[in-house]
Formats: sequence, C-alpha cells, structure tokens
Amino acid sequence: MKTLEFAIERWETILGLTIDHFEIVLTAMVISITMGVLVGIMITYNKTAAKIVLNIANVMMTIPSLALFSILIPLLGIGRAPAIAGLVLYTQLPIIRNVYTGIMNIEPSIIESARGMGLKKSKIMFKVKLPLAFPVIMTGVRTATVMGIGLGAIAAYIGAGGLGQYIFQGINRGNDKMILIGAIMVSVITVVIDRGLAFVQKRFEI
Amino acid sequence: MIKFEKVVKRYNDKDQPAVDELDLHIGKGEICMLVGPSGCGKTTTMKMINKLIKATSGKIYIDGQDIEKVDPIKLRLDIGYVIQDTGLFPHMTIAENIATVPQEKGWDRNKIRNRVDELLELMDLDPENFRDKKPKDLSGGQKQRVGVARALAADPPIMLMDEPFGALDPITRGKLQDEFLRIQEKIGKTIVFVTHDIDEALKMGDKIVVMRDGKVVQFGSPTEILSEPADDFVSELIGGNSNLKMMKLMKCKDIMREIPYVEATTTTEQALKVIKESDVNNLLVTEHGQKLLGYVSIGMLYRNENKIVGDFVRPIGETATPKTTLQDVLSDMFALGRKTIFVSGMKGRVDGIVTMDDLLKAVRDDDQTS
Repeated sequence: MKTLEFAIERWETILGLTIDHFEIVLTAMVISITMGVLVGIMITYNKTAAKIVLNIANVMMTIPSLALFSILIPLLGIGRAPAIAGLVLYTQLPIIRNVYTGIMNIEPSIIESARGMGLKKSKIMFKVKLPLAFPVIMTGVRTATVMGIGLGAIAAYIGAGGLGQYIFQGINRGNDKMILIGAIMVSVITVVIDRGLAFVQKRFEI
Repeated sequence: MIKFEKVVKRYNDKDQPAVDELDLHIGKGEICMLVGPSGCGKTTTMKMINKLIKATSGKIYIDGQDIEKVDPIKLRLDIGYVIQDTGLFPHMTIAENIATVPQEKGWDRNKIRNRVDELLELMDLDPENFRDKKPKDLSGGQKQRVGVARALAADPPIMLMDEPFGALDPITRGKLQDEFLRIQEKIGKTIVFVTHDIDEALKMGDKIVVMRDGKVVQFGSPTEILSEPADDFVSELIGGNSNLKMMKLMKCKDIMREIPYVEATTTTEQALKVIKESDVNNLLVTEHGQKLLGYVSIGMLYRNENKIVGDFVRPIGETATPKTTLQDVLSDMFALGRKTIFVSGMKGRVDGIVTMDDLLKAVRDDDQTS
C-alpha cells in the first residue's frame, strides 16, 4: 500500500516519464518497422543478400544492449538520439526475418498464378505477397515492439530518460518503491501495446 | 495461332535439354493436349508460351507475332492461365479473384461486376451465394471452377491449363471435364492443356501432342493416336482396351446410317421393295410426309402381308443423340435389350440408326488399320 501512496504522490513525475518512455519507443519502432519491412521486402528478391542481411541482424541481437548503447555514445552523444538508434538496430531482426519468411513461405502456386495472369512485380508484392504475409509480419512487429519497450528502460543509462531513469534512481538510492513502480509501468505499457497490436493483427487476418 | 519453331529449353548446360528442337502448330479454337510422363517437357513447353519460362533458342509465334518482342505483362494479360493448385488468392473474395485481370486492364467497375456474375453463372456457381465467399469456403471442384472463371475473365483468346483437374476426385474431374467441353463449344478458345492422363487427353483434345524427353513423339487427333500409335511408347501410354477407348471417342453421327421414309398408307409389298433397295432393315413411317409415326422392321413387314404399314407401325421409343458416344449407345442397347437404336437430334425427328453390327464394324475397322 505504501508503494501505491508513493506513486499517487508522485503521479505527475511518473506520468511524464511514462510518456517519455512511450515517445522514445514509438519513434524507434516507426523507424525500425519502416526500415525492417523495406529491407525484408528487398532481400526476398536476392538470396545472397538475404543471407548476409539476416546474419548481420542476428549478430546485432547478440550484442549486449548496454554495450550497444555505449558504442553509440561516441557517434551520437548521449540522450534520445543514441537510444533510438540503439533500439532500431536491436529490433531489426524479428521484423526483417518475419517479413522475409512471411513472403518466402507463401504457397508458390499463388505467386505463379499471379505471374501467369500478368501482374507486375510491384502489384504482386502489394496485392498478393504483403497481404498474405501480413500475419507473420505482425508477429515480428509485436516481438520487436515488446523487446523495444523493455530495452527502452535500459536506454536511460545513456541519458534517454523514460521509466528506466526512475528504476536507475531507485537502485542508486536503494528505494524499492521507485524500482517497483518503474518496472510495473514498463510492464503496463508492454501489455497494452501488445494487446493493441494483437487486435490489429486479428482484424486483418484472412 | 500458336507456332513453335525449333524451340529449345536448357535449364543447365550439361544436362539434356528439357525441350529439344520442338516444332508445333496449334490451330485457332483447338484444344491441344500436351501429354507425357513427368519430366517430358510438357509443362515447360506450355510455360514458354506466356514467357513464364524463357526459351533458350528458337521462336514462338502467337498470331504470327514473335513473342520475344512482346512485353511479358501485356502478353500474359491476354492469355488465360489455370493451374492444378488453382492459385486462387486466399485473402480475396471470389469476385475479387475473378476481377484480377479485368482490373489490371482498367475496366470500369460496372463492367467488371457484370462480367464476374456472368462467369459465375457460366461455371454453374450462383453469384449471390459465391461472390463474397473466400476460396477457403469452397470445395476443390468449386475452387477449380473459379480458377477457370478467373482465367476467362478478360476473354483472352488463348488459355493455358496446367493439369487443372489433376487434384480432383475422379467423379468431380469427369464432371468438370464435361462442363468445360460444353463451355468450350460456346467460347471456342485456343487451349493448350497439359496432362499426364492419356484418358483425359483423348477425351478433351482436338489434337494431342505426346511428348517424351523434350521431344514430340506423336502429334495427331485422338482417333489417330488411338488407331495408329507411332511407337511402343505411345501404345504403352494408351494402355490396353484401345478399341473400347475408341468407342468413347466416336459419336453416333460418325457411324449412323440414314433410314428411308415411307407414308403410312404404303403397302407392305411396296415397303419391302424400299427396304431391299436400302442398306438398312428398318423404315420410318410418316403421316403426310410430316408427322413421324414410328418405324417398321423388315421382320414386321414379312409377318404382315397385304396390309398398309400404318396398321402395324411401332413407336420409336428410346433414342440416342448424334453426339452420344458409341460406348453409351452400346450400354443403352444392353439396358434396353435391343440390337438397334434410333438417333435423334430433335424431338419428332430421326436422323439415322445405329445397330450392334455398326458398332462392331466401327471398332473392327480401326483395329485392322493398326
């Protein structure tokens, strides 16, 4: 109960940090999804490129997040910019991979008939491939977004702000309540966004 | 309409070519069946027509135009394409699927909607019921019908069909084949049809191309293929019972004989004279040269001396149509317990007669030539 009282007393700060956190993740995800979908589409046309890109994205994910953020400081300084860049790089793999596999796993007969009927490459992509791969792509987007929100907390380490800041302060001051509140709020955002995306995914299911 | 000139397709430099110096001429409005075992090059041959596969060398002409010079997209929009797995777009409704090519061609919405309904009706699918369904709600046969409708949507002069009925059960397949032949009578498309099933080829084809190892082994009409197989490979492909298969191909109109008419008032003696001058054993009896009363046989004439034929004329009874296959006629004869059957294309008229002997002769004749 003491935690709840603590939170109510400081609701303005907490809300501000939550909004910050949300903004950072949202910006990063918009960039990440745009990039990931584009790259994912492009590599479906070239097997060698696909192999290289998927491997790079894979390696990217194995770098400890703290290290990745730190590496970006000399390039982009501290604050939001390196945090967003880090999140983008980190969340590429699930998106690129799902766009790629989603498109490549479409039944070949469907693509063949589309080609045989005389649809242009771009038409086949937008009218046939992307709609059919949509559920798989959305699964990738959801995974990436959930990852992004969690990682966003660590981005506070390089001065990005957001809920991570509250958690780090809690750790430094030995204040359990702050850690708890920060963690709960991160979880709440995660669950809400994931549910929202799941709803979108359901709406457009075949 | 479609002409192949020394067409070669090599997938790999070392391997034997998939299609080897193919020369082929497919006439307008014909169903041309490409038949042969897997890997004989029949599908490759078909796919070179709409440039899904590019020929390594040689020329392919459609209506005298070298297809190499035609933009593949433009070429394909004017060639209907049906494949075994239907390739229907699962995320689109049946109407949207059928509308694909007309949309690409920029037809206006009303025209597309009318065309979709017209095609659904042609395929025996109720538009009200099927228009807004998704492919997953349809049975295999219905999906294949939609596949054909989609290929026909923009009324292309040419259709390419790659084992379109291959994945269906035998009953549905037979039904769709019959339906398709009926539709083809109306639309008269030039059709290139790939199958590995020789019986399907014999049933559907105006012309059959038997292929092996990328080469044409035999090119001819179904009757030619059946009666004069070019070599052991073709004979083996046809399998046994080629006489019975011939009976499936030949129609009553091919072998029926005409029957003389007499007036109902003709005397038995006069009628006997007429019958002996003809090569049949039956006469048709008419009233005032107009209304058909029935028939009399030579036996009936002998039994009824000094009468007029009108006194003992018998009704025609069951008839076959000129398009009934000999196999069906034979089975009708067995069912009715009769050795002769009248052929009638229209009610109240008889075009000719087919007897058991005619059937035997038709099959035997072809047997001797082989």
